[in-house]
Amino acid sequence: MTTTAPAPPQQSSLDWVKKNLFRNWWSGLITVVLLPLTLYVAYRALRFLFVTGQWDAVRVNLTLFMQGTFPRDEQWRLITQIMIFALAFGIGLGTNSAASRDRAEDAGLVVERGSVAGTLARMWSLVAFIALLLFFATTDDVGNFINPFLVVGGSMVIAGAGYQARRLPRRFRNVGWLLTMTFLVIGFQTVSGFDAGGWVPLGIVYGISVYSIAPVDRFDATWLRIALRLVGAGVVVLGIRAIYAVVDTPGIGWDEWSGLHLTLMVSAIAIVLAFPLGLLLALARRSTLPALRMMATAYIEVIRGVPLITLLFMGQFILGFMMPAGTLLSAITRAIAVMTFFSAAYIAEIVRGGLQALPKGQTEAGQAMGMAPPPIMRRIILPQALTAVIPAMVGQFISLFKDSSLLSIIAVLEFLGVRKIIHAQEAFRGVGIAETLVFVAIGYWAFAFAMSRESQRLERRLRVTR
Amino acid sequence: MTTETQEPQGSEAARPPFYRDVRVIRVVGQLVAVIVVFGIAYWLVNNLISNMNRLGISTSFDFLFGPTNTAIPYHEEFAIRSPVWQMSLVGIKNTFLAAIFGVILASVVGLIVGVSRLSDNWLVARLATFYVEFFRNIPPLVLIIFFGFAVFTFGPFPIFSESWELKLPGSDDTLLIINNDRWGVPGFTATGSLVLFWVILAAGIVIAAYMWRRRTKHFEQTGQPHHRVLWFTGVVVASLVVAYIASGQPLDVSWPVISENRRRVDGGFIANWGWISVTFALGLYTASHLAEIIRGSILAVHQGQSEAANAVALSAFQRYRFVVLPQAMRIALPPTINQYLNLVKNTSLGTAVGYAEITALTKTSVGNGRPAFQSFIIVMAVYLVFSLSISLTLNVVNRRLQLESR
Repeated sequence: MTTTAPAPPQQSSLDWVKKNLFRNWWSGLITVVLLPLTLYVAYRALRFLFVTGQWDAVRVNLTLFMQGTFPRDEQWRLITQIMIFALAFGIGLGTNSAASRDRAEDAGLVVERGSVAGTLARMWSLVAFIALLLFFATTDDVGNFINPFLVVGGSMVIAGAGYQARRLPRRFRNVGWLLTMTFLVIGFQTVSGFDAGGWVPLGIVYGISVYSIAPVDRFDATWLRIALRLVGAGVVVLGIRAIYAVVDTPGIGWDEWSGLHLTLMVSAIAIVLAFPLGLLLALARRSTLPALRMMATAYIEVIRGVPLITLLFMGQFILGFMMPAGTLLSAITRAIAVMTFFSAAYIAEIVRGGLQALPKGQTEAGQAMGMAPPPIMRRIILPQALTAVIPAMVGQFISLFKDSSLLSIIAVLEFLGVRKIIHAQEAFRGVGIAETLVFVAIGYWAFAFAMSRESQRLERRLRVTR
Repeated sequence: MTTETQEPQGSEAARPPFYRDVRVIRVVGQLVAVIVVFGIAYWLVNNLISNMNRLGISTSFDFLFGPTNTAIPYHEEFAIRSPVWQMSLVGIKNTFLAAIFGVILASVVGLIVGVSRLSDNWLVARLATFYVEFFRNIPPLVLIIFFGFAVFTFGPFPIFSESWELKLPGSDDTLLIINNDRWGVPGFTATGSLVLFWVILAAGIVIAAYMWRRRTKHFEQTGQPHHRVLWFTGVVVASLVVAYIASGQPLDVSWPVISENRRRVDGGFIANWGWISVTFALGLYTASHLAEIIRGSILAVHQGQSEAANAVALSAFQRYRFVVLPQAMRIALPPTINQYLNLVKNTSLGTAVGYAEITALTKTSVGNGRPAFQSFIIVMAVYLVFSLSISLTLNVVNRRLQLESR
């Protein structure tokens, strides 16, 4: 490399080594001891990964790890679900990034442009995990050879297509959000079935959207506006109910779910259900009403004071007994219920932290404007407090994701629990125990690491905008 | 004038209807909340009791005094016929054995890794970052199972009957026994009553603590070196010697020995593999969290503090020891205790490797037909009492340690 510019201060690699590895005698000593050790451990690890590891237990059972004991001839449901989720995430991401870009430009900030390469680099652990899956998948039979590539490639294309929702004009951005929610629910129901009970989530999504965006501003009377909104929402909800009554196709209930699919679903469902509960608990704990405060505090402290596994045992052994005689709750339902109530306590503490961090002046400003307490909470306090705790919430999701591994102890076959059926197979009894475990560890690690990176980025961005 | 007459009238007229009166809303709201919550709780408990009665499951705690009827793994001395509460005590003891050593391991590793992340040696900093990112993002249960079942496949771990034994040079006593089932190291056995020994030792520790405070005060008043660590250690060691002699030498070193039938290790301090996997897995896992806390706390100490220390010509060690670390410790204390509590709660994952801690034993006992509700209520109460007392203590300590903020 030749440059015509005046030579920069020579920072040769030797200088770098001197400065960073042999700065003084003890630094050099540590380097001399640690470097061979590190290289040896890395050599052993790579050798295990590529040479000595008996990866057949993973290779043969890759489908089992991904979807567990989910019926094989219903696999299309899972594949369709992944595609629909990819679409939903694409649209959501596109709409969200467009919205935040517009907000930043309105505020006169310079917007850093994200890129696909940047996102992939941030998510490198997930990319590596998918690459590992594809690496294992290639040696399988043709059907399994096609599927993983189809799923990964197809969902990327679809997500990219959905991302184009960022081009929607501003006034249609609500539509983008509505589409995201719709596809999330529908993706969920491709597996669980569009039966008559399944209309509830979509009904809630559309009911709330119609209620909040109904064009009724021209009417003066408050009660009339509310009544019209309610009627509109009601009509939409009933319409969805009617559609579901007609479609009515049973799917695979979550009793049959397992594998990585179940791990991801359980954590997602639990965090979504736990959020409103945790928010209420946090508000109750901060409330000036002593009865509410004491009940919320007691709940939060008790749940946080005991290990999750004892609660899961309680759920397995007791929750059924706490229902009226004859109620049947599947193991997964009980597990999800317990995980939800468990996370709610932790989310409550996170939200409480966010509420406490807000200066009192915010409330006082609202009061000075003559606002009642509920609007102050809803329009001033919560938007700021919840934005501030987003990184902590991602952290809570990561730990919930890791905690979902405990379900294997109560005989729910999630990602870790699948190992039990693998090592019950004739060929793998006592073979590849470390290999399957390492594979599972890599899987958990890839997801958790990607999420923690994302939460660090969010934290940085939030700190900048504040 | 007008205001005087109008004000009472105005407030009389503007008095809101009762359903918008804050005082009424507060009372009614609380009543409704209490009724709803207790109603749900009553409904659940009522269902529970009626279902248990219907199925003929006992709703009392009498089972605690019935015989256990199962052996506890690695506790050959435990009589099968002993009552259930004694089994629970063994479980609690094991929970704390794993927790205490896990906390020690986590603290040591966490401190080293946390400080290493700030090292100016590139390799050390990189390795520490790798350690943190590696262990932080793997579920502790996976780590425990790895240590429990998979670690053997990576190296030559001797099976029981071919244990590695490390003899004390020049004698027949064994220093270390290692196999894939238990590890044994020398320990102590009581040959007589230990009451006097413990009493004298406790008194010695109290005196040592008093000396510590006196030396500190001496230092604060006169500025002469306090040597309080020396004083403290000296008094404790002296009281150990006195206690040992005065109580009639009731302790004996016991060396681990593989028993005649080569099935167990007798004597010494014996670590079974369940304990090893729980302690190591949780210790290493928690260390990754502690390292982040320590790093963050050191970084959180204001830059000016280091500069001030440099300005008064403190050495690097003195800067850390007397300026940075004491302040970092204040910041680090609450999250650290939180991590310790997490570690204690995570020992319940020992169930997965059959370590005989309270949750695992209770699970077995429930499997043997003890009523599940009461059994797990007891387990939860044990953890809860521990967690709550620690967090209460922490709150008090924290309030004393925090600097007055303006």
